[in-house]
Amino acid sequence: MNVKAELLRLLPRNGWIGLGAATFLALLIPILNSVTAVDSALHVPDYLVALFGKFSCFAIVAVAVDLLWGYTGVLSLGHGVFFAIGGYCMGMYLMLSIGEAGVYRSKLPDFMVFLDWKELPWFWKPFDNFGFAMLAVLVVPGLLAYVFGFLAFRSRIRGVYFSIITQAFTYALMLLFFRNETGLGGNNGLTNFKSLYGYSLADSGTKLGLYTVSALGLLVVFLLCRFIVVSKAGRVLCAIRDEESRSRFAGYNPTSYKLFVYTLSAVICGFAGALYVPQVGIINPSEFQPASSIEMAIWVAVGGRASLLGGVLGAFIVNGAKSWFTVALPEAWLYVLGVLFIAVTLFFPGGVSSLLLRKKAAT
Amino acid sequence: MTDALAPGSMQTETEPPASGEVEIDPKPSPTRKNRRVSLLPQPKQIEQHRVDALTRGRKALLCVDNVSVAFDGFKAITDLTLILDEGELRCIIGPNGAGKTTLQDIITGKTKPDSGSVFLVGDNTDLTELSEYEIAERGICRKFQRPTVFQGHSVFENLELALPGKKGVFASLFSRLSKSQHERIDEVLETIALKDQKHAPAGLLSHGQKQWLEIGMLLAQDPRVLLVDEPVAGMTHQEAERTAELLTSLAGKRTVVVVEHDMEFVRSIARTVTVLHEGKILAEGTMDAVQSNEKVIEVYLGGGH
Repeated sequence: MNVKAELLRLLPRNGWIGLGAATFLALLIPILNSVTAVDSALHVPDYLVALFGKFSCFAIVAVAVDLLWGYTGVLSLGHGVFFAIGGYCMGMYLMLSIGEAGVYRSKLPDFMVFLDWKELPWFWKPFDNFGFAMLAVLVVPGLLAYVFGFLAFRSRIRGVYFSIITQAFTYALMLLFFRNETGLGGNNGLTNFKSLYGYSLADSGTKLGLYTVSALGLLVVFLLCRFIVVSKAGRVLCAIRDEESRSRFAGYNPTSYKLFVYTLSAVICGFAGALYVPQVGIINPSEFQPASSIEMAIWVAVGGRASLLGGVLGAFIVNGAKSWFTVALPEAWLYVLGVLFIAVTLFFPGGVSSLLLRKKAAT
Repeated sequence: MTDALAPGSMQTETEPPASGEVEIDPKPSPTRKNRRVSLLPQPKQIEQHRVDALTRGRKALLCVDNVSVAFDGFKAITDLTLILDEGELRCIIGPNGAGKTTLQDIITGKTKPDSGSVFLVGDNTDLTELSEYEIAERGICRKFQRPTVFQGHSVFENLELALPGKKGVFASLFSRLSKSQHERIDEVLETIALKDQKHAPAGLLSHGQKQWLEIGMLLAQDPRVLLVDEPVAGMTHQEAERTAELLTSLAGKRTVVVVEHDMEFVRSIARTVTVLHEGKILAEGTMDAVQSNEKVIEVYLGGGH
């Protein structure tokens, strides 16, 4: 009885039905990929599974950005940083687990041999351990966000100023990661991964596993953020977004709320980045490009701010369009993205999800 | 001659009364020099004898003690001392630029004064060293000039957020409204006449209703001191009357400070009026006494002539 009430607080009945259906479809994909025959109409080809796996990681990012931007009103244009750092932490583990199977047959990662390094730098050493690496995936982006956020929010840096600083932040880190001396592979980044926790990354079973973890990760992150949004803390976040000074005089400390959400969203992005890297097989400093962080904000804008479902939809729609256009009309893609962004802002400021939810409410 | 005389006369003139004052009267209020010591984590406490000296013979609640603040050389408030009694309804009037809003900013922690202190009697913590939310926790609430409510939230949620209690992130994540809190919200809704709009988005309320909702939010906070800035600005005559009723009914239980331009409204509610002018208190007393005060007539009421 009580459990039922709690669940209905989290999502309305229709929401649970929709979520159940989406989860069922998501889990059907690996089954249809492995069980059905290749020429069957129901067969889901490998490349689609890989695509959906990637999109799930992006959708996790979109939910995190939405929690921060849509609900708290803090537009970060540097969340690619946390995604990339999560990815690098995973990449370092994957690099070390190659062992002596690399091109140079050395214990050191190939790029270090190429740079004529004799020893593993100190910060690489613990990444040999899977548990440590997985912890670092969450903790390193979280710590970085905590320190950066603390300095920014305590100084009451808001609005467009905060967005600009986050852009500078991601740009500065991109330059840092481009350097060979940083010890993370320079402009080539980390690549040529072989296995993850003993499972070969070339195996279709591993690929399906990674896809499934990404899809379920999206589900868990969605429910976690939903829990925050429907709690009183969620209402405080919106209150801070709408009237920060009133929230302060009502006894809330906006700095600690913003810091909490900023750090949490960074941790979630790190998680998404770590799932993304073994699926695409590479992580390099281009993930720090200011443009990729801006794209994350566009996913949320297209899908609909202050709607977690919107974040997920936006990530799938924009990236789906990107996948199609970069194959069919590669030169047109950036124009399409720009037009999409402007059109949504002008005609559906609430994003795609507002159309969907309004329709639902009417019927 | 003058060189030799000046130091000598200074010594003989100032020293005896100064040492005499320390024994009989309290020390002067804390200034910059004392503030430097308070880099310690604990906010500074006002010394008891200073409190006693200021509040002697009255049921004081909030003291603004010898506060000054200047913005880029412009003296917004100069050596201002204001003492508010428990349960009193005080109106603060004054021409534009008199320092009314700055005074509220200082009390609520938005502006830090250059010197002087603000404290609640009994608590005695120097509020000028705290941030806004810490001052709000101690029971000083503020209504802005422009109605400031959470537009996206319903009337009910606005009041929910205003209720007292733990306001940290993790407390809010797991907090649930208790039955008595629900009752408290209903009570406030009754007081501010918004019962029928309980679940309406606050953004859709009329201007007057938003003003009431904001007053309701202050009530829900269960404050000891309410600072209300121009509560009837933009209200219809009827709404203003109802607001006057509301504010007078609150006084007695709480200390209410109303900053207002509308003289008719001030006359309808005021018991004690403080007139500010150029950052100083020009006069204080009943409305009639203040209105017949020559200085007031000269700088404020007569200003239009």
